[in-house]
Amino acid sequence: MAHNILRFRSLTVRYGPTTALANLTLDIPCGSSTAILGPNGAGKSTLLRAILGWQAVASGEIRLGDAHPQHARPRLAYLPQRQAIDWDFPITVRAVVEQGRYPALRMFHRLAAADHQRVDRALDELGLLDLAERQIRMLSGGQQQRVFLARALAQGADIFLLDEPFAGLDLFACEELTHILRAWETQGRTVLAAVHDLELARRTFTHAVLLDTTLVAAGPIAGVLSPANIDRAFRHGHCVHDHPPGAAQTSEAPR
Amino acid sequence: MSLHDLIVTPFSYEFMRRGVLSAAVLSLSGGLLGCILVLRRLALMGDALSHSLLPGIALAWLLFGPSTTALFVGALVAGLLTALGSALLSRLTRVKEDAAFGSLFILFFGAGIALVSKLPTRLNLAHFLFGSVLGVSAADLRLAAIVSGVTVLIFLVCYRAILLETFDPVFHRAIGGSGGLVHFGFLALTVLNLVAALQTMGIVLALGLFLLPAVSAYLWCDHFFRMLLLSVAFAVVSSVAGILLSYHAGLASGAAIVLCLGVVFVVSALFSPHYGALQRFQQYLRERHAVHQSPN
Repeated sequence: MAHNILRFRSLTVRYGPTTALANLTLDIPCGSSTAILGPNGAGKSTLLRAILGWQAVASGEIRLGDAHPQHARPRLAYLPQRQAIDWDFPITVRAVVEQGRYPALRMFHRLAAADHQRVDRALDELGLLDLAERQIRMLSGGQQQRVFLARALAQGADIFLLDEPFAGLDLFACEELTHILRAWETQGRTVLAAVHDLELARRTFTHAVLLDTTLVAAGPIAGVLSPANIDRAFRHGHCVHDHPPGAAQTSEAPR
Repeated sequence: MSLHDLIVTPFSYEFMRRGVLSAAVLSLSGGLLGCILVLRRLALMGDALSHSLLPGIALAWLLFGPSTTALFVGALVAGLLTALGSALLSRLTRVKEDAAFGSLFILFFGAGIALVSKLPTRLNLAHFLFGSVLGVSAADLRLAAIVSGVTVLIFLVCYRAILLETFDPVFHRAIGGSGGLVHFGFLALTVLNLVAALQTMGIVLALGLFLLPAVSAYLWCDHFFRMLLLSVAFAVVSSVAGILLSYHAGLASGAAIVLCLGVVFVVSALFSPHYGALQRFQQYLRERHAVHQSPN
């Protein structure tokens, strides 16, 4: 059994009077790829925000390895939702990936040769070297997503927090991302992603956490996504069914 | 008229030298700030902010007379009250930030107009609103130089934080940056620069010196740093040309500078090779042509 990189002990998070996460005790194994699943308002994004320290914790604690996440920031990389980015911004692919090196730079210091090497390696790993000088609007949706994955790699992180990475991607781009995330998992990188689409999650991730404010189930994804568990998490009859007749794809449309 | 008469003679007057120096110095900081306003879609908010300075200036004039320091402090207080007030309103009530800003600025502007109409001076409203190069005193020039210097220095020191906060505030926060500090610092800098640009540009037109060069540069550049440089270059060239235009044609200096910036903007919007209207139109025609030519 691999050791656990992220540990949650009786974690409770509140927004004013509403409880977003209640008494969550959970371990995320090192080098696993884990999907955070559940209906709208189940606390998927809240869990990511709590790890990043953006969400005050009402009680309980989060440990990253042996440390508090605040002291392990360089190990964490966060991927924004696609809609949060202004794709017309005057910036090239390379310049975005270089941002991954900013936290490691001292004030007034420019990127050193070693930084440029890491940027090149990240671009290369995600097949973006030929596109490096393009403005980011001039890319396909899948390529745009890869730019931000490359920035996370350049950061030197080994734990990746992804907020709805499949949202707004077409079928082909989803397959591509699935492929990349599977490869990362075999390389021992830890991926934690809030995901809407159960079918996509099943194909992409080895582990899953099923939330409905409280923990419904956690562990290897096949066991977590049992009909009984899904029924428990989605019993309020929100929007998602695991096997809607005739529909293979239920990924969210871009806003 | 010889070239000498056109370009050199005007600057034999002291007020012209002060005017052009003040405009050029403010172009440096205005060009930089404008880029952030454009990229963060705060252009209209900047406009509202500039209007809201009026009551502060009028009140300062009423209480302390034409003292540069008093005008400056008055405008600064009015600007910050509007910015903070609308931020509070949007958090404490149901009103969204744009509506809060819109309501407060029009309230402030109205109060300002009311105050100015009561001013016991022959100096008229037009001077406050549209600027006058004749009004630039040595103290005004010094103020402009300090404000511009501080702004450029902050851009140099905090370049990466500014880029991240503008492009991807969520990432900036994730790596431990302070978004609130950058945002508030940016608002404060904008108010400072608006106030410093008051004498030359007037409060209605001051934002033009920030916005027009930036939006022109935005049409040409695919790199953030190059956009900053080009915006500053557009601002400096246009403001010098504008001051000369105002001298020869007898125009209000703010209006003349805005007109020169406007030429740059219109040319950019039409003829920019990647993002201009003509290029888009040509592309549309080509595509239509291709559709008609295809056998199906």
